Amino acid sequence: MHAIVPPYLLARIAATREPTWARAAQAARATLEIPREYRPVRSRIRMSIEEPGTLVFEGAPAPDRTISDARQLEQLPGTRVRGEDDPPTGDIAVDEAFDGLGATFDFYWEAYQRSGIDGAGAPLLATVHYGRDYDNAFWNGERMVFGDGDGEVFVGFTGSLSVIAHELTHGVTEFEGGLVYQGQSGALNESLSDVFGALTEQHLLGQTAETASWLIGEGIFTDAVQGEALRSLKAPGTAYDDDVLGRDPQPAHMDDYVVTSDDNGGVHINSGIPNHAFYLAAQQLGGNAWERAGLIWYRTLTSGTVSPTADFRAFAQATVTAAEAEYGEESEEVDAVRTGWTGVGVLDDGSATN
Amino acid sequence: MTDPQRTDGDDPRERSHDQLVAIAVTVTRTGGIAGLRRTWRAQPGTAESSHWIALIDGCPWDAADPARAIPPTGADRFVWHVDARCGDAAREAALADPEVQGPWRELIDAVRAAQKPAAPPKSAR
Repeated sequence: MHAIVPPYLLARIAATREPTWARAAQAARATLEIPREYRPVRSRIRMSIEEPGTLVFEGAPAPDRTISDARQLEQLPGTRVRGEDDPPTGDIAVDEAFDGLGATFDFYWEAYQRSGIDGAGAPLLATVHYGRDYDNAFWNGERMVFGDGDGEVFVGFTGSLSVIAHELTHGVTEFEGGLVYQGQSGALNESLSDVFGALTEQHLLGQTAETASWLIGEGIFTDAVQGEALRSLKAPGTAYDDDVLGRDPQPAHMDDYVVTSDDNGGVHINSGIPNHAFYLAAQQLGGNAWERAGLIWYRTLTSGTVSPTADFRAFAQATVTAAEAEYGEESEEVDAVRTGWTGVGVLDDGSATN
Repeated sequence: MTDPQRTDGDDPRERSHDQLVAIAVTVTRTGGIAGLRRTWRAQPGTAESSHWIALIDGCPWDAADPARAIPPTGADRFVWHVDARCGDAAREAALADPEVQGPWRELIDAVRAAQKPAAPPKSAR
């Protein structure tokens, strides 16, 4: 709810005992009684100089980050160790999580004018040093949680921005209506986290579709692991091939879809298919992948038209519809999106227009 | 499943009966952000069987039926599968990561610890 008189001012007026303000105080109290959600939202001002010598002030929302330390226990949230206004702690995981959440927040704002997980600047909560030798990072429905890794397979999870952005995006997807974490809808949920995870990294590094690595989780394996990352959107199935871990099991085409009861029905496996569809669309369009391909996926995620139980085909149709709405039916963007989905065998040639 | 009480009995016939019961526990972990499948297996010797039978019997298997729907809790959580065999008796469980506590945690940690020395040098990780 937006109001012209900010709630903190109303509260001050409502609390006044000045007799001449009695009516105003009563009106303010009545206004405050109207149910609404009030939460202070952080913002920042950016100053820039535009030619010729014009000073420009630009208001933008700012993240509200809180990092907690689980101190190697598997208990949440742990002890609060860094808030938004606090300086770096010197603890690498704490500071990496803080910086990574900030970079992800900036990406969503600058690329899509979205303020955080709920689009309204809700606090970004993260816990680091979760568990002992804990080989995972996850979203628990409220916060992002990062283990330290066991030092044998993983060196930790906060060192990769794509991993941090992957987790934050699970929050965005959940807020936007969710995709049930099982089978194809679960693989779409995973794929959205990989897509926006990769795009966050590309945005920070200024990489185009051509120059980007398209890897998720680069740098989180120890040197002992034969592999460069967890997943590759460019070439699913090639991220690692290790004596102990085996080979990256991701398919890049519906012909190789994996039916399994593991991993909630292979949500981290079959996500390779929609991941590669996105890559193909972005590659065909070229340039910054977050700008056109990314915007189409973002519009699809936030359109409210994707069912929580959507399968690959339904989601693919929704991306075509979003591209048509954004760029027109005959646009090169629509063509690129169709190329992506036909390239992975989700849509047939010419079937995307119903 | 063998009654753990019997393994502590002093009757030699009871002991020799237990020595015939082969115990094997397999823990499989899938999911997580990496989507990696990891498997650990313990085949304790007869000297340890009473300890292992107690660990196995301490778990609430009926509440962890693999056929039940495990409610999703967020995303990228581990999913666990435990398979225990004592002679001809076999039990299976599926667990969400937050359910791995108490007796389940003890059993799973024991299997993972038992696996370590058996692994070849490179895969000590």
